[in-house]
Amino acid sequence: MISQRPWQLRFWAALLIGLICTGALAAGNPDKPFAEKHVVLQISDPDPFKQTLVLNVAANLVKHYGPDKVDIEIVAFGPGLRLLLEENANAGRIDNLVDSASVRFSACENTLSKFTQNLGREPELNAHATHVSAGVVRILDLIDEGYTLIKP
Amino acid sequence: MPNTKTRLAVLIAAAGMAATAPVQAANWLILQGTEPAGAAERARLWGFIQPEFQYTEGTELEAGPFSGQDAIFNTIGPDRDASSQFNIRRARIGVRGQGFPLDSKTNYFFLVEAGNNGITKPGGGLGSLKLTDASVTFNHFDAARVRVGQFKTPGAEEGLKAIHVFDYVNFTSVTDGVLLERYIDADGSAPNDPNGPNGPVGAFRDIGVQLFQTFKRDGWEHSYAVMVGNGNGLARSDNNNEKDIYLYLSTEKIFGGKGARRQGWKGFVWYQQGDRTLTLAQGTDSTADDVEDDFERKRWGVGTTYLNGKYRAAAEYIVADGMIRNGTDGGAIPGALSNAGTSRASLNVLPEDEADGWYLDFGYKIRPDIELDIRYDRFNRATDTDAAERRFDTLTLGAQYFFNKKTRFIFNYEFREAEAPNLPNSAVPNQILDGMDDRISAQILAIF
Repeated sequence: MISQRPWQLRFWAALLIGLICTGALAAGNPDKPFAEKHVVLQISDPDPFKQTLVLNVAANLVKHYGPDKVDIEIVAFGPGLRLLLEENANAGRIDNLVDSASVRFSACENTLSKFTQNLGREPELNAHATHVSAGVVRILDLIDEGYTLIKP
Repeated sequence: MPNTKTRLAVLIAAAGMAATAPVQAANWLILQGTEPAGAAERARLWGFIQPEFQYTEGTELEAGPFSGQDAIFNTIGPDRDASSQFNIRRARIGVRGQGFPLDSKTNYFFLVEAGNNGITKPGGGLGSLKLTDASVTFNHFDAARVRVGQFKTPGAEEGLKAIHVFDYVNFTSVTDGVLLERYIDADGSAPNDPNGPNGPVGAFRDIGVQLFQTFKRDGWEHSYAVMVGNGNGLARSDNNNEKDIYLYLSTEKIFGGKGARRQGWKGFVWYQQGDRTLTLAQGTDSTADDVEDDFERKRWGVGTTYLNGKYRAAAEYIVADGMIRNGTDGGAIPGALSNAGTSRASLNVLPEDEADGWYLDFGYKIRPDIELDIRYDRFNRATDTDAAERRFDTLTLGAQYFFNKKTRFIFNYEFREAEAPNLPNSAVPNQILDGMDDRISAQILAIF
């Protein structure tokens, strides 16, 4: 029987810790450890068709890469924030994307404040929406983390 | 004590409120005036045009006081000057949406007609642009949406459905006879008064307020509508203080799809009631000495529609009580002078008679872009008066070619027959009706 020397144990332990750290520091959502593609989708257009389009793009990415291999965040700001209003007709599709592929949705607080000012009350947002201070800043942060920006 | 109308209205509203959560799913009540929440434009421009050609042999009247003159049933409306013609049947343009994009609860729908038809040119009069729809819908309550303005009334399928997905060129005889209302001043009994229309045809629309909602449960969609309106046609005020009431209930098993061609199996019932003011002639013309009276106009019906894959079917039974349009004198064009020179043909109405009718309609898509259609309809007019009763039977063979989802070509051949069932074959009305020609029609429909 060959006994293991202490330096070999230290080497393997260091290598394992290094690999874990590398994985943790990679771009993306901790809920998507196997994601190979990291995509941020921008919706800021008033055209309702763009709402359908951005959801279609997300669904097509999931279909192509598989739900575990792609990490998607949809950032809504400006007129595009209407997508994330609670009453939006696309709420069912948003539910499906969250449930089936953990797609994330971010809502711009600056836009929400403007909506509140125009409406005279704060509109209810989709329960899946996460508040971010500014949609455009969120997009830049995600790009810094290695995400690819797509604006359908 | 509440009357029958009120009880029915309350019953229908209660049935709707008792159902489950409301949805935005499409049906005719929802499609024509309601927008998808949070996903509608401020103003979406849209419309459609329908150029067409219609043809009959132009057989002239074979008997009666106008023998040898044009038969109204063998001429093509709205002008009734020819038995074959090209025409722009409909040309409509409109905008719809939610004026304040952040408020999904308030929608609007606006549409005008520029074609050549009974809306713009009733009785062959001067044509002009006419408002057909101008409504605002409030979606603030789960139990009931509220629509105000001028819009399609809840009722028979042929009238309620969007005309740009209508599968034929012409309506069934019963729909044309008792539902597509013509507004006239008198009953037509004055011998020298043509009694022409005093405004556009009703176009299955009214001005008023409607409560309606659609509820979804286990793949079924249940809808109700209650409406009160003027009952005096398009884009004008009322001519009496009596208001029309409209009630509608439907339930539909949804198979899939969305929009105007959503697949499903629907059953529906409807009821309409109102009063019409009419002048009964006492002399040779409608004058101030004639008697003006209000007459009750009731319509109701029950029907079903089915659309699943290649197959399409529809059937409906319609009953009319009061204000039965009764053709023209001798089947002649209104205003025509009798051969004896003693009277002029007029539009006639039987204010206290009855009528009924039904249709069966089938369609089958032999290819994704070609549908074959067949429809049989019967219209029993003036069933309460033996001598006046007329029966119209029409078998329509049709084909539709879809260039794309928004453009199609429709071809129809109508085998038309009519008779006075309680009169001998040799009687003048039967001799006149024997001259009813078949009708050929071809139409392009382009939606933009």
